[in-house]
Amino acid sequence: MQRDSDIYTFKVAVLLCLVCSVVVSSLAVGLKDIQKRQKEVFRQQNILTAAGVWNKDDDTQQDAAVFYNRYLTPVFIDLQTNRVTNRVQEGAKELDPKAASRDPNWHTAVGDLGSDVRDIAGIRKREHYSTIYEIRRGKQLQTLVIPIRGYGLWSTLWGFVALDMRRAAEGPEAIFVKGLAYYEHGETPGLGGEVENPLWTAKWSGKRIYDEDWNVQVEVSKSAITDYQVDALSGATITSNGVTSMLQFWLGEHGFRPYLKSIFGSTETDDTETRIDNATTE
Amino acid sequence: MADKTARQVLFDPLINDNPIALQVLGLCSALAVTVKLETSLVMALAVTVVTGCSGAVIGLINQTIPHRIRIIVQMTVIASLVIAVDQLLQAFAFSVSQKLSVFVGLIITNCIVMGRAEAFAMKNGPWMSFLDGIGNGLGYSLILILVGFVRELFGSGKLLGYVILKPVTDGGWYATNGLLLISPSAFVLIGLIIWAIRTIKPEQVGKS
Repeated sequence: MQRDSDIYTFKVAVLLCLVCSVVVSSLAVGLKDIQKRQKEVFRQQNILTAAGVWNKDDDTQQDAAVFYNRYLTPVFIDLQTNRVTNRVQEGAKELDPKAASRDPNWHTAVGDLGSDVRDIAGIRKREHYSTIYEIRRGKQLQTLVIPIRGYGLWSTLWGFVALDMRRAAEGPEAIFVKGLAYYEHGETPGLGGEVENPLWTAKWSGKRIYDEDWNVQVEVSKSAITDYQVDALSGATITSNGVTSMLQFWLGEHGFRPYLKSIFGSTETDDTETRIDNATTE
Repeated sequence: MADKTARQVLFDPLINDNPIALQVLGLCSALAVTVKLETSLVMALAVTVVTGCSGAVIGLINQTIPHRIRIIVQMTVIASLVIAVDQLLQAFAFSVSQKLSVFVGLIITNCIVMGRAEAFAMKNGPWMSFLDGIGNGLGYSLILILVGFVRELFGSGKLLGYVILKPVTDGGWYATNGLLLISPSAFVLIGLIIWAIRTIKPEQVGKS
């Protein structure tokens, strides 16, 4: 029978695959811009969620746009000099970590940051410029929202950690976590995917990050007891460890710690450290 | 079956031949997405569109599909349609698509879609197959919306996010039923619906 001949079967299969792939890919390409805009809105909402000024159950989508413009000030950080920079404009490609990772002028491989630097977060490349978000009341800095990312079990998790800076003048151990929010990941739904569960992210609020010597102590732990520990996600050990590692990286020496040190804190300790650093390098 | 009118093809799957209540198919997603009415509605719409369109496409090409690869052909058509729906949801209903997460993709494995393609669309023309797909999608939707309605209303005191029964936790009077927020409660509700339908229509009771 002609309909069951090998040649005919092949022809139908190839033709069907072609038609289906054209339909699927043209739809994906055609909708890309709209999806991108949606993702950006979602990212902004997560910044607000981490900072604790907006939440998706009680506030509307319109609120999010209003709050974003009213409360948040983006600050561009040059991660090489650890200073605020004006060299980049908001929306510039250099500020998009994904674009930056494609252009060697805008990133450094983590291994090249220093001989003893281990890529604990699994990010491979660290961008030169990054955006953090400030919330101020009057002159006083209230909250800093810092972008974090790192590898979990299957995927890179993208998120924000908000730091409560109101008591920061008392020392590094008085910087608290205000909130944590992940907006993009490919972890197993129901296990590692629970990083976005509000019940879990709520546990982060009020945790300490640094000890008095600026060592990152905050961690996800199987039995959280101290102010520095947060309960791990059950059934998701590797994702939980990934969360710890990315916080250690991004709040550490090659992340935003030098900048955090520079915006307040006793200048004396900073000086001695620089002097020691200089002595050892010489 | 070939003598069915368009009307029967479209409306029989609602009560008489409901894919969830009679054939007990598609339960996985019926348990997972019915915590809120909104996700139930979107899921119901997505499945109805997919079953309808896959019926139409398979019905159109069923004379040209080689028998040996017919299941693969059906899967390819269904999978393409599901990806299309997923892309559209991500573009125009982003927050709902976040909540539905993997379950949109899992429409591909929903037995109702595949079952209708193999059992009906392979033997009937595109128009009747389209109606059959829409009918079965609506049958699925009916159960999903009923379950979603009960679970959201009595589980969190809301409907589509609007507070109807003010919960005690917000200073109201209604003590929310936590059982309804977890998936197994959908089993109980679907069981009750099947019981009700089979009490009214005893001919649906299986012979032992």
